[in-house]
Amino acid sequence: MTATDPDVRIPDPIELDELEEERLRAAAGLGPRRVAGDGAGPAARPEYAGFDQVGLPDRPPQTEREQRLFTLNEGEMLLNMGPQHPSTHGVMRLLVKVRGEVITDLDVVLGYLHRGIEKLCENATYTTVLTYVDPMDYMSAMHNEHAPAIAFEKLYGIEVPRRAEYIRALVVELNRVFSHGLMMGFLALDMGGLTPILYGFINRDETVELLAAISGQRMLFNFFRVGGVNWDVNDEFINRLSRWRSNVEKTIGDNELLLTQNEIFTGRTKGLGVLTARDAISLGVSGPNLRASGVPFDVRKAHPYSIYDELEFDVITQPQGDSYARYMQRVAEIKQSIHLIDQIVDKMPHGPVQAQVPGIIRPRPGRAYAAIESPRGLYSVYAISDGGPNPYRFRMRDPSYITLQVMPKLMPGHLIADTMAVMASLDPIMGGVDK
Amino acid sequence: MRLLLDRFPGTVSQLWTDTDTVEVQVPRGQIVDTLRTLRDDDDFGFFFLADAAAVDYGPQNWFEVVYHLYSDRHPAWLRIRVRVDRKSPHIPTVTDLWEGAMFHEREMYDMMGIVFDGNADLRRIFMSPDYRSFPQRKDFILPDDAADSAAAGVNPLERPETWDLSRFTDALPATETHPGSDETAVEAGETLADKSRPR
Amino acid sequence: MDLDLLLGVGRFVLATTLLLLLTVPTAFIIIYLELKVIALMQLRIGPNRVGPYGVFQSAIHGFKVLAKEDFTPDNADRPIFTMAPWMVFMAAAMSMLVIPFAPGLVALDSEISVIYFFAIIGLSVVGLLVAGWASYNKYSLLGGLRSAAQMVSYEIPLTLSIVGVVILTGTLSFTEIIAWQHAHGWAILWQWIGLPVFFIASTAEINRTPFDMVEADSEIVAGFATEYSGMRFGFFFFAEYVSLFIMSAILVTLFFGGWLAPWPFPAQLSGFGGMIYGLFWFLLKTYFFVFVSIWARATLPRVRVDQLMGMAWKVLLPLALVNLFVTAIVVLVFGL
Repeated sequence: MTATDPDVRIPDPIELDELEEERLRAAAGLGPRRVAGDGAGPAARPEYAGFDQVGLPDRPPQTEREQRLFTLNEGEMLLNMGPQHPSTHGVMRLLVKVRGEVITDLDVVLGYLHRGIEKLCENATYTTVLTYVDPMDYMSAMHNEHAPAIAFEKLYGIEVPRRAEYIRALVVELNRVFSHGLMMGFLALDMGGLTPILYGFINRDETVELLAAISGQRMLFNFFRVGGVNWDVNDEFINRLSRWRSNVEKTIGDNELLLTQNEIFTGRTKGLGVLTARDAISLGVSGPNLRASGVPFDVRKAHPYSIYDELEFDVITQPQGDSYARYMQRVAEIKQSIHLIDQIVDKMPHGPVQAQVPGIIRPRPGRAYAAIESPRGLYSVYAISDGGPNPYRFRMRDPSYITLQVMPKLMPGHLIADTMAVMASLDPIMGGVDK
Repeated sequence: MRLLLDRFPGTVSQLWTDTDTVEVQVPRGQIVDTLRTLRDDDDFGFFFLADAAAVDYGPQNWFEVVYHLYSDRHPAWLRIRVRVDRKSPHIPTVTDLWEGAMFHEREMYDMMGIVFDGNADLRRIFMSPDYRSFPQRKDFILPDDAADSAAAGVNPLERPETWDLSRFTDALPATETHPGSDETAVEAGETLADKSRPR
Repeated sequence: MDLDLLLGVGRFVLATTLLLLLTVPTAFIIIYLELKVIALMQLRIGPNRVGPYGVFQSAIHGFKVLAKEDFTPDNADRPIFTMAPWMVFMAAAMSMLVIPFAPGLVALDSEISVIYFFAIIGLSVVGLLVAGWASYNKYSLLGGLRSAAQMVSYEIPLTLSIVGVVILTGTLSFTEIIAWQHAHGWAILWQWIGLPVFFIASTAEINRTPFDMVEADSEIVAGFATEYSGMRFGFFFFAEYVSLFIMSAILVTLFFGGWLAPWPFPAQLSGFGGMIYGLFWFLLKTYFFVFVSIWARATLPRVRVDQLMGMAWKVLLPLALVNLFVTAIVVLVFGL
């Protein structure tokens, strides 16, 4: 066998990488690379002594809040819901302190899906940033692209063609319809109803097929460009849109038949997890959840971006602020979005869909802030340019991340079963939460 | 929005007006008072804390904490920038004003290592609790800092030696990582917004 | 030794073996039905790969369960952990003994078969409780405790709801009850309060949606079955579907005349022909109620634990008691 020949040793590619890295590090004046657990880190400190016997946590609590959480009274136990749990909407962990079935305390533990998208975007060009933000809130990828696109256009100082603005509004509202439609299904699924989620997915499938027809991709659309959109819509698309419209009204109607008047559903959601307007504002809740608490704050209306000042719509609110109100808010917003889509299609002008933009965009140094209304609330981007091809800082405020702070506030005193009913009604998406 | 200058003669040190956002720079000590006035005063009515983010201006040796507020009175966004020293990044918390600032501040602590004095629950949120460095700083080098993580020990807040600020200045020349930071222009008194206004 | 005794023992062994063997196709059929019916209700196709229309899907499921690794958690209480699945399964299988399938087709035609049935079916709660306890898992524990609370609560309206039928017919034997219904018409004509109480309570008793708190997957993962895998999980799974069949069968027996056709039983059919004829009607009615249960599963969300308890004590129990007293008075006064 030739492989045993001692003179000809083919180095492992991984080994090559390591050698190369070693060489580079030496050139940069850095020490040898450290690996995890090699003992080079700080030695065991006295305050950790004994903690391995306690069980959970295996480290001293960092804050008073954590200490209170981990201090168990008589009859209490800690229950980890997640990271592997059937209904945590992604990979998150709810650390729940329960007495019997009654929750006495709750902590949200995040980071299982953290990909460092902000850091990635700082190393990407402005055009490629729009592809990185797609998988953040994967239920509303169009919205994720919308805010950075606006921010970069502000930085670069270009005008978007009007037809492109209309197409943007169109796809964004389409996205909102299926996102809200799925929320109805998730809420039912978390309460044991199996069917609404599938009707929601029928709706979603039709919508993403429609969006794929113009963007080329089904889930992460990559449709927005700095200064416009990638493709134009044609008449065939508009025809399909009217067919889609009747279908989506049917599936949403079916879901409403299954849920809205359902005795078990209303019994489990009405009066549950009541979020007052004051608390909601203080906690930074936004979007449908805030409007379900009676605060008429909708970025589309409050600070119109794109073409929303040309469209007619009202800010819908619900006075109750409970899970059922949040559900009804979504149902109302689906109908509103369909109404908006009708208006957009009626008013859509002709013209180009993409402004003249160079391949590599180098905006002048400056800062831009763009906020949009995503299906989960206020989604905003704060971008800083230093004149180079990459953003110096790219900050995304994801609504579902902030909304999750509501959980420790609302849950104590409720049952374990209610955790899911409240969380699903807040509709967080972990891809957005963990950035 | 010139109202801001009248109301805060001593505190507001810089003011820019962008195309859609008014930008204010506030000293670190007065941030809580300023934000409280902005929120509670009827002239302003900035009831909603839309965003709070940290920016690492490495070469200038400071962080910047940026708050975005929304007011329905005007209606407008307001950007408030607070400089924080990079050597001892401390800033008063605003969780007393908006409870929702908690996750913002925890994220800033986690990613940038900015300590919010008075925050009752300042711990890691995305990274594991035993992680020892701050990934979104500009001087974060992936293999080194990632290697520090697993079970190496908790990083309590008051342990600045783990923050390893020296590496930034020692190992990497500042100009190499981020050329042409905008802050020089601001120092000279020229506003950025003037430069970045659309042509 | 006595020949009668030997024959009796032989008959018993034969019947028990047959019934145990019967549980397997019963569970398979119901699992397939559930997959297919729910799929059609959700506008999906459902199983369509294994055999025509996917009819062997549940058999494949069974083989998969057999082939899986069967592990025990480190800290589990091994003997009890191993015992729990067959406690549940045997409770279900043993209660099949008294089900009258057709005229002459009943394994154990006892005079107190009603009492026997409710005594045995109540045993399954012990299995679920110890399964939850022995697993050394918090979710399992919660599931086990939920099952204990739920089943103990629902035993009472369940049992009370059939006392009406017992008073009406004056017997504790299922075959006698059917004979009474042959003479007087189906018991549902008199027991229209008893039926919904029995149906709801039996749904809760066998942990079907909307009362499946015990294994509420969105709350407590899989409840008592969280740590089970392989054939031990298979036993739980089987027991659930066999109990569904049994409860539907008992419902049909008590309220819908068991093997009786909706019109008078043809007198010329006797012996084997009558058996087949009765079996046909019995299975038809039973599977109709199995279908209703599947239908409910596709439609309804799950109720909450406290709502479930409230319903048992505040609604079902008074209703069952009212039904009991009214029936007793009517029987006393009119002497049906």
